[in-house]
Amino acid sequence: MSGRKERLEVEVDPRLHAYAEHLVAVGQAASVSDVINDALAERERQDREALDYVRETAARADQGKMARVLAHIDRQAAALPAT
Amino acid sequence: MTEGGNPVPPPYVLDLSILTEVARGDAGVTGLLLILDGRGQPLVLPVLAVLQASLDARTADADRALRGIGRLEHAEFAPLRDAVQAAGLASVISRTGLDQADGHVAYVADVSVCRILTMDAAKWREHAEKLDKPLHFVEYAEPDDDTNA
Repeated sequence: MSGRKERLEVEVDPRLHAYAEHLVAVGQAASVSDVINDALAERERQDREALDYVRETAARADQGKMARVLAHIDRQAAALPAT
Repeated sequence: MTEGGNPVPPPYVLDLSILTEVARGDAGVTGLLLILDGRGQPLVLPVLAVLQASLDARTADADRALRGIGRLEHAEFAPLRDAVQAAGLASVISRTGLDQADGHVAYVADVSVCRILTMDAAKWREHAEKLDKPLHFVEYAEPDDDTNA
């Protein structure tokens, strides 16, 4: 995680704002900014994990079959009217 | 233009049959979508079709796969945004008899002038002429399996 922070103005649901302040008040977060930062970092982690998952799945594909399917799709697309 | 300097091709809307295979972890379908994305091919995931694929699978891996495809560089989710779109979708479903998932696919393809990527050409052949403009589709199939000639 980068140590340098950038200022960001965001609008959040009042309920979530109150929850972030609660986390700060009970000592589970240093600041509301940290709560927002952690939430974005978690979303980024889940997106990256999902992308890694589909790449791992794709790596198991039969390359020859995939090439034939792709060529077939390209032929069908070329035969369609231009949009 | 794509990164290779070629014109951006018309988007492919992924129908329920494709999204179901993604959710099941089919390597061939998933691999093909990654290749298309790597070529700069826009891919559109209608959220009602994503919803149905997730409902049919109900596993964490399925949701991870659907999320991952949606996070490809040239992929985007097509939401159902407001009452105008809801009414448009209702009209498509009423005219075609498609279910809500593939009805959303047809609606997105119709209003956005996209092509449908499917594993079930027969289904789309049946419904292609029911809207004002014909729906265009391409089938994921090996040439020997082709029934779309």
